[in-house]
Amino acid sequence: MTAHQTAVAAGADLKWIVNSAALLGRRVRYNRQQARWWGLVWLLNEQLGLSLKSAAAISTVALRGDSSSTQVIAGADPSGSASLIVDLARYESIFLANLSRALVHETPRRRGRPPRLGLKSGLTTARHYGVDLGLIQSAIRRTPAERLALLEKNAAFVRDMRRRTA
Amino acid sequence: MSFASMLSGLTKKKVRFVVVGGVAAAAHGSSRVTNDLDICYDAEAVANIAALASLLAGWHAYPRGIDKGLPFIMDGRTLRNAPILTLTTSEGDIDVMDRIAGVGPYDAVRRHSERISALGVRFRVLDLPSLIKAKRAAGRPRDFDHLPELEALLALRK
Repeated sequence: MTAHQTAVAAGADLKWIVNSAALLGRRVRYNRQQARWWGLVWLLNEQLGLSLKSAAAISTVALRGDSSSTQVIAGADPSGSASLIVDLARYESIFLANLSRALVHETPRRRGRPPRLGLKSGLTTARHYGVDLGLIQSAIRRTPAERLALLEKNAAFVRDMRRRTA
Repeated sequence: MSFASMLSGLTKKKVRFVVVGGVAAAAHGSSRVTNDLDICYDAEAVANIAALASLLAGWHAYPRGIDKGLPFIMDGRTLRNAPILTLTTSEGDIDVMDRIAGVGPYDAVRRHSERISALGVRFRVLDLPSLIKAKRAAGRPRDFDHLPELEALLALRK
């Protein structure tokens, strides 16, 4: 995982993770387990206003337990009057959603300035890039309904091929 | 498992959405084959979030690329807390977003969309100029690689 993907999976700001790691004296590692931990630290620190040190300690306690538990009492006062409960099932759902986004959607961006296609006409650039303009012209002659019917057919074929080769 | 069944389910549940991404590109004439349906939904309307979440839960939605069997609750709260959800469902893969980079939230996306009839359903798709803006803003190599074809489509349609 990249640093950006770890931050997306954690649902936290990358700069915040790097700065918090420095404050806690931790080495930042960009992986799934760390993203899960940083995500909870971020929630407790930024959303609930707990100190960074407490948020880190509570997150470690909350996430080290049995993964089948749905709720964890991460902290309580000596009398038991006040306690902090982490809804692990909810947290894990949001974490998994963010992790999936990080892995599937937030693939590394292209470095540098994007190509300025506008300098040439769209057709010149496409030709230069190897796009089959004949294919595009034939697609334009079809209606959107015909184009999507073709996509549906081709997508089903690709899915079938993937299933067979899996 | 098909785009038709997902689009039909979304419209039957009266979810307010606009189709973006590869399926929108195909509707405009792109020859690229995509396997997932990308939609931008109205995240301001609580009823819309509830309708979409209930539909996705009914389709046994689960985060794509994640080991099976981990705890995942598909409801309105998860939808609200994850602005981009990449899901695999019994009906096919679907990405749901509350805003599109380069275009904006649902209202802006809807303003830049057009209504089409396809696969037995009437729905809205992001228009071609906005789709190009979105691909450019996304900034991933696969989006940039798609730009020449979309720019050519735009030029040929003029």
